[in-house]
Amino acid sequence: QSFKLLGFLDVKNVPCARESVLYGSLASLVMGLGHFLATSRVRRSCDVAVGGYICTMLGYWFYCRYNLAQQRIRQRMIKEGMKNRILFEGTYLDPEKKQTGSERSDS
Amino acid sequence: MANHSQLNFQDASSPIMEELMGFHDHALMVALAICSLVLYILTLMLTEKLSSNTVDAQAIELVWTILPAMVLITLALPSLRILYMMDEINEPDLTLKAIGHQWYWTYEYTDLKNLTFDSYMTPTTDLPLGHFRLLEVDHRVVVPMSSTVRVIVTADDVLHSWAVPTLGVKTDAIPGRLNQTSFLANRPGVYYGQCSEICGANHSFMPIVVEATPLANFESWSSSHPS
Repeated sequence: QSFKLLGFLDVKNVPCARESVLYGSLASLVMGLGHFLATSRVRRSCDVAVGGYICTMLGYWFYCRYNLAQQRIRQRMIKEGMKNRILFEGTYLDPEKKQTGSERSDS
Repeated sequence: MANHSQLNFQDASSPIMEELMGFHDHALMVALAICSLVLYILTLMLTEKLSSNTVDAQAIELVWTILPAMVLITLALPSLRILYMMDEINEPDLTLKAIGHQWYWTYEYTDLKNLTFDSYMTPTTDLPLGHFRLLEVDHRVVVPMSSTVRVIVTADDVLHSWAVPTLGVKTDAIPGRLNQTSFLANRPGVYYGQCSEICGANHSFMPIVVEATPLANFESWSSSHPS
């Protein structure tokens, strides 16, 4: 099942989309309401609300996608490391074997 | 393969397709922001009284020059990154030739031995139970998984296009020209595609099926297949 915002953005299945839209909406509400309470200007408060929505949504989106990309790179490195560990276990390339070898030579 | 009435991408089976899907999500988020802004401005315009007092508007002119430029840069940078990633020189493990005909594909594996076969669509009347209509073929393209495969695509008669959406591959088959593409299947599986360039009456009936298997299975398949 998918829920598509404005008919095209699948907020349920796209990573970071749901949080971006929710934080954007919350920021929009807070900024718009706050500006109105401070200035009593309706039109300008609406502008602030919409501007806050867009800026917060895009800002959180970039932050979240950057972290997601870093996480995926780390996952790939771990996966590669696990594969290499199995391949090299017991051979001269095994880093754990080198470590125990150096400990023996120290003692 | 796609489910019925599916509008979104199929799950990615290659790193390039994963990147393309990420970029697609990014572009749609930017599109959502722009649509929200346009919707809001439209609402404002519809509720605003018209006046002819404006002579010039330096600030708004600056905003609607700089903002679109920033949007374009936001879209261009990840797009170019993926474009160059697709063109990286990656020393393929296997080279495969795909030749388009009316209305079937010929595949040639000429790296180690001369292995050539035609791939025709399985007619619906001959389809076993549970198999996919208009997608199954008599001879699949078997490739080793987690290995870079280079595909050289050409055609024998008219334009065709060799496309497998889940691998992020679509390359035109042009008579008299060799086009090159490459892919890496992350995991074993069977991946379906269809000819993507109008080529006559049976254009919809020349599918492509790529079967990615572990290397040992690929080797036993290629040795059992007569050249």
